[in-house]
Amino acid sequence: MVRQWFKSGSPWIWMTGGAVSISLISVLGLLAMIAWKGLSFFWPSEVVEMHLQGSVQKQTVIGEIYDRELVPKSRLEATGLDFSNHPGEYIERLLVKTGNREYVELDFRWILSTDIQSQSTPAQIAVFERTKNGNFYGYVERVIRDGQVVTDNPLEALEEMVERAVDLNEEALDLQNGEIGHINYELERLRLKERAYQLDDELTPEIIADLEAQRAALREEYKVLEKTLFELRNGAKRDEVVVRDMRGEEVTLPLYQVLDFWFPNDMGFFAKVGHYMSQIGKFISDDPREANTEGGVFPAIFGTVFMVMLMAVIVTPFGVVAAIYLHEYAAKNAVTKMIRIAVINLAGVPSIVYGVFGLGFFVYMLGGSIDALFYPEASPSPVFGTPGVIWSALTLAILTLPVVIVSTEEGLSRIPSTVRHGSLALGATKAETLWRIIIPMASPAIMTGLILAVARAAGEVAPLMLVGVVKMAPTLPLDGNFPYIHLDRKFMHLGFHIYDVGFQSPNVEAARPLVYATAFLLVTVIIALNITAIGIRNHLREKFRALEN
Amino acid sequence: MITVAPQVNNADTSKKLDLENLSPELTALEIKNLDLYYGDKQALSDINMLIPRGQVTAFIGPSGCGKSTLLRCINRMNDLVDTCRIEGEINLNGTNIYDKSVDVAALRRNVGMVFQRPNPFPKSIYENVVYGLRLQGVKDKRKLDEVVERSLRGAALWDEVKDRLHDSAFGLSGGQQQRLVIARSIAIEPEVLLLDEPTSALDPISTLVIEELINDLKEKYTVVIVTHNMQQAARVSDQTAFMYMGELIEYSDTNTLFTTPTKKKTEDYITGRYG
Repeated sequence: MVRQWFKSGSPWIWMTGGAVSISLISVLGLLAMIAWKGLSFFWPSEVVEMHLQGSVQKQTVIGEIYDRELVPKSRLEATGLDFSNHPGEYIERLLVKTGNREYVELDFRWILSTDIQSQSTPAQIAVFERTKNGNFYGYVERVIRDGQVVTDNPLEALEEMVERAVDLNEEALDLQNGEIGHINYELERLRLKERAYQLDDELTPEIIADLEAQRAALREEYKVLEKTLFELRNGAKRDEVVVRDMRGEEVTLPLYQVLDFWFPNDMGFFAKVGHYMSQIGKFISDDPREANTEGGVFPAIFGTVFMVMLMAVIVTPFGVVAAIYLHEYAAKNAVTKMIRIAVINLAGVPSIVYGVFGLGFFVYMLGGSIDALFYPEASPSPVFGTPGVIWSALTLAILTLPVVIVSTEEGLSRIPSTVRHGSLALGATKAETLWRIIIPMASPAIMTGLILAVARAAGEVAPLMLVGVVKMAPTLPLDGNFPYIHLDRKFMHLGFHIYDVGFQSPNVEAARPLVYATAFLLVTVIIALNITAIGIRNHLREKFRALEN
Repeated sequence: MITVAPQVNNADTSKKLDLENLSPELTALEIKNLDLYYGDKQALSDINMLIPRGQVTAFIGPSGCGKSTLLRCINRMNDLVDTCRIEGEINLNGTNIYDKSVDVAALRRNVGMVFQRPNPFPKSIYENVVYGLRLQGVKDKRKLDEVVERSLRGAALWDEVKDRLHDSAFGLSGGQQQRLVIARSIAIEPEVLLLDEPTSALDPISTLVIEELINDLKEKYTVVIVTHNMQQAARVSDQTAFMYMGELIEYSDTNTLFTTPTKKKTEDYITGRYG
């Protein structure tokens, strides 16, 4: 019977099928876990008010329950606590986020469930999202508009006032980053211009006067803008709200520090969904705050996508040309074989090695030479001779070059020789055949190489830490200042952001959900990049369907 | 199995040529003392023949006899094989095509070739036909349109595709694709057209269409066809060359070769004793 079963091949099918299932479950499980842990962070969870007494002093705690765990009774008893009245082996412990960072020692604390005398979720508890010191939890006591207490429908007024403050702050920030940033950029350019004239010994009094005039004009402009900026900022400072916190004390929150407020216990399902969506939107589109532990990750998304695209633009032509030479022109001998093996082995070199190479070769040698040749006026501060997005893209381009070469070569070898011969027989030269027939027909394979390259590059972090990624980049590599694309700038990257938030952050508990959310976002970005590339490839495949017969 | 010597349709004896002493104006190609080696192995030895202008010449013989190799010598497709070495001459219009001064691309424009399997490019029907002209830098739309119509008519394909010239060439049937390839070849108006078993991948009806087409083609072009199908050689060709083991065994007008072969090997082959 068993022999028969073995002979039939069923065990083999079960084994192979099992292997596939295990892989599939691992991948889906991983995705589901980071998606759940990351995305549930944005859900407006209930804020609980708890009255504690027992192992701690009598007190009230207001906060969100973040986590629960069971602790063996013996372990707690070893710290001198008495649990003889409690049945069972384990005691439940809750992790509560209490916020109000500047007024309590820890904004996260563990609470033993045995200490909780009573617990409720009052609808009046408000959560304030602030630009500094994280969330604030408490009861709204008074709303003050321009020094006057608002008595008529204060909550509605508060909403409107918060909106106003946020708008004014945003306007101020736009002004600062946009026009004022532009003036600073121009002033710096003028300084470099002057320095360049000075180095060339061409600095005549006329030029000095001209530069001075331009500078004065800019400063004049700056003064006007600065005045507007201060007006905006002062305007934002007009209102405040008085909140009673869990200690029972009244705290005044200036509204220019408040981004949003909500009453999570008073929200219906749809209100929660709406809030959830807007929180996710903010996460994707905002800049990070407070050492990256709060706010959004937009610069990191932008940096990742920009760097990967730049890399793709560099690696594709390079890899394709190399593959064409290897496959079409190089003599079929031992040397070519050696080169091919070397190329394949390059893919196995640890990425940090590429990072070190990139730092030594690209940043210091190439970048240093560019600075010496073209930017002598900027010295001693480097322009290209320091880690930047172009060097990151180049480093990853060499890292992914083997993938592109190998799959392009594979694509070239799959093209039937009859098509080549057909073109040659019509009087085309080899180069004409390559350009008109072979490369278009190999384009799906080139795209496959690019897909693999993008997937690999978007996930690399280690080499980037040496050649361009930073924790916090003040400006994006793309902005409104001439020449618009600044390849010398440092950038933020989702992968590095995960590392930074998760392991370099002073507030581990606050950072943890952000790690998951960022990880999920990184995976999403990579999948989106891949799907785009796969879409293009399928389109090309459809076009050059000849290969099948 | 009963084997019958193929019926020769082309019994017009008035056209009979003296293939040994063909006058230069009647000669399209002169193959002289041609030897070909793949590495150390000799694939063709001492081939001498004159191919007459404006006629269909067929190469027949068993598989591996070198008939395709000889055909590929005529437009130097064998240059693509690294290990291939050629001695001797092939003269086209009085110049040796293996001379160092010859531009291979120009030669191939003058000597077109159609392969065993239809090999259209992954482009539209229109673009397939004008490929050779585009290579030569012809941009004039009117001229291109004109050539497309003339070539497709010449390849007996116009009526079938005139409404979908800009559709992909892969939408055509095998036989249509092969006629498209012929149209593509004649679009650049070569002198000689080489057909390497052009119907071996096609069904009988498509084969018939192509054979009729070959008959029309010889009015304008010198056609050289390789086929392993003796009936086909008998039906379409004026001259037939029988090759065996890299040697030219017998070469005469088709009628004579199939009815009164002078060599034993030829007779054995055409009566189906081997091959």
